[in-house]
Amino acid sequence: MPCHWLTEPALEDCNRSGPCHAEGSEPVARVQLWPHQSLSPHGFVVFVGLTAIFLAIPLVGLLGTPALWWVLFPFVLTLGALWMSLRKNWNDRRIVEELSIWPDRIELVRQSHRQPTQRWDANPMWVSVALHENVGPVPYYVTLTGAGREVEIGSFLSEDERKSLYSDLNETLRKIRL
Amino acid sequence: MADAAVHGHEHEDQRDFFTRWFMSTNHKDIGILYLFVSGFVGFIAVAFTVYMRMELKDPGVQYMCMEHLDKGLFSGFISSLSASLPSECTPNGHLWNVMITGHGILMMFFVVIPALFGGFGNYFMPLQIGAPDMAFPRMNNLSFWLYVAGSSLAVASVVSPGGNDQLGSGVGWVLYPPLSVNEGGMSMDLAIFAVHLSGASSILGAINMITTFLNMRAPGMTLFKVPLFSWSIFVTAWLILLALPVLAGAITMLLTDRNFGTTFFDPAGGGDPVLYQHILWFFGHPEVYIIILPGFGIISHVIATFARKPIFGYLPMVWALIAIGGLGFVVWAHHMYTVGMSLTQQSYFMLATMVIAVPTGVKIFSWIATMWGGSVEFKTPMLWAFGFLFLFTVGGVTGIVLSQAGVDRAYHDTYYVVAHFHYVMSLGAVFCIFAGIYFYLPKMAGRKIPEWAGQVHFWAMFIGANITFFPQHFLGRQGMPRRYIDYPEAFALWNEVSSWGAFLAFGSFVFFIVILFRTLLAPMNATENNPWNEHADTLEWTLPSPPPEHTFEILPKQEEWDKGQAH
Repeated sequence: MPCHWLTEPALEDCNRSGPCHAEGSEPVARVQLWPHQSLSPHGFVVFVGLTAIFLAIPLVGLLGTPALWWVLFPFVLTLGALWMSLRKNWNDRRIVEELSIWPDRIELVRQSHRQPTQRWDANPMWVSVALHENVGPVPYYVTLTGAGREVEIGSFLSEDERKSLYSDLNETLRKIRL
Repeated sequence: MADAAVHGHEHEDQRDFFTRWFMSTNHKDIGILYLFVSGFVGFIAVAFTVYMRMELKDPGVQYMCMEHLDKGLFSGFISSLSASLPSECTPNGHLWNVMITGHGILMMFFVVIPALFGGFGNYFMPLQIGAPDMAFPRMNNLSFWLYVAGSSLAVASVVSPGGNDQLGSGVGWVLYPPLSVNEGGMSMDLAIFAVHLSGASSILGAINMITTFLNMRAPGMTLFKVPLFSWSIFVTAWLILLALPVLAGAITMLLTDRNFGTTFFDPAGGGDPVLYQHILWFFGHPEVYIIILPGFGIISHVIATFARKPIFGYLPMVWALIAIGGLGFVVWAHHMYTVGMSLTQQSYFMLATMVIAVPTGVKIFSWIATMWGGSVEFKTPMLWAFGFLFLFTVGGVTGIVLSQAGVDRAYHDTYYVVAHFHYVMSLGAVFCIFAGIYFYLPKMAGRKIPEWAGQVHFWAMFIGANITFFPQHFLGRQGMPRRYIDYPEAFALWNEVSSWGAFLAFGSFVFFIVILFRTLLAPMNATENNPWNEHADTLEWTLPSPPPEHTFEILPKQEEWDKGQAH
């Protein structure tokens, strides 16, 4: 699932040593979300590497002949275009949403390719999480409301992942408010 | 931060005709455009063959006469359609050569690949993997229009000033030097540019398909859960990526030999014409698999659907696709046994060629095993799949015969070879295209071609194609060489039979065009999501028919596609 709790909710630590504040301490919970991409970095290396090797095979027979350069040129162009296309698609689809929660602050940061970083923060005591089953761009659309705004989170996740995120967020906020 | 958009998310297609069909970046529209343009170019290429079969129906030259050249372009063309007495006809061998060249170039580069890879691949691969569109929609548009430009140049080369002070170039689709270097006029250059554009279009299309396939599959759809058609498109795209640059290099050298005084392929300047043949066939043999592999994918889905059984041996089917693709790159010289290779080289290419029968056999037997014990329905798409199985197997068997270097000495450049490659490519691949059209038309257009019409089309085409090409085995065994406008009396019988078969097959093609347009212009009659049965269970069948402009903007759920029938 493209959703990873970087810091599991650890309220007990805060309670033992007094309340944690957003300034100067680690968040008690932090989750990172990103859209599904089926090509892993390892897969990229394997595929481009294999393509380069296979493209090089016919060149062996042309070594030492002027024809080599005329075949090499379209090979390099093709390999370069493949490389750039895979990277571009990967970058174009890359969005990272990071939600950090302290007892007195909740912050959502969204970074995507070619767009300025977007931020939203509020006091978790007053933040509500909503799951919109049938309204919104996707079914089971998750939003956070606080500090006068309603913002979306994880809209790129699959339906089951959004449901799971909704219950995780509710549970984390419930613990914080205890 | 992205503010929430808590409202309905409806899309209405508000594009006008010009915007939709001339500026489209939508993979479904571009797929349809590929199918229509390749069908139109296919009609031109097939018309060339009908003209050639008219000429070959009887010994002597009756239609392609030098006398028609004096009558001007239009009246010369009209009079060349009626038979002249052999005594009043001086054979125009150049026109014959132009016809075979035009037919070959159009069919190899501008008909079958654009239909199967560009048409069905564009339309159905993103749908099957749950992607909202191709990775690069604008590049997809560029690929399509490069293909149109290439097709136009290829057709223009037939009617441009060429060799022998006539129109067109008559060098064969392989463009072998020194013939292609010495052919006069600009027709040859236009043909080379046409192939260049086709190559650029195919490479861009292949990169787009590969990126989409690798990075945009639905969550949970690991590589070995991808439907077989999408796998076939991916393997084809990879073959294109590895093979087409070789061709681009070869024909660029050809162009400089023709126009800039280089001598890559001219022994007088230290070049080697056999080098061209090696480079061309290093591309040319994978090209055969580039043509047929998407067809394999379509056939897998059709057979699984109409046998009402999951495809037999999904994993071996995938590995067979990959193995066929890989082996396709190491057998090229079986096309050129007679150029003077050493016995060791010939032995290698002979053995390597025969090895391809193994993965191909895996596929054929898996299709048969899928049908074994199944509840087979003889709907039109299944008939085409059956036709494909029979014809491809016949072509495959004669391929094994031709792979023997010794036997090939006798059959090289005879009609036996013509029969062989038409059985696997013309009939095999074209039957896959028709299977795909009958199978997927309800999804693409919300309309089904009537069963009776489909069955008439199939049987006329099946009988016609077999009558055309089966006798050509006999002609080849009798020693009739290919690429000749005339032949001795001894070859008359089977040539006449072959020509009647071609006319029947052409008639069935015209019949198909009529019923296709009648169906498309009639009201929708198949608007259910899945007009076949529960065994057509890949993601495209979960969508409305025809699908809306935007599909899978929301990630599909695993239970929608993970059903294990055709994957």
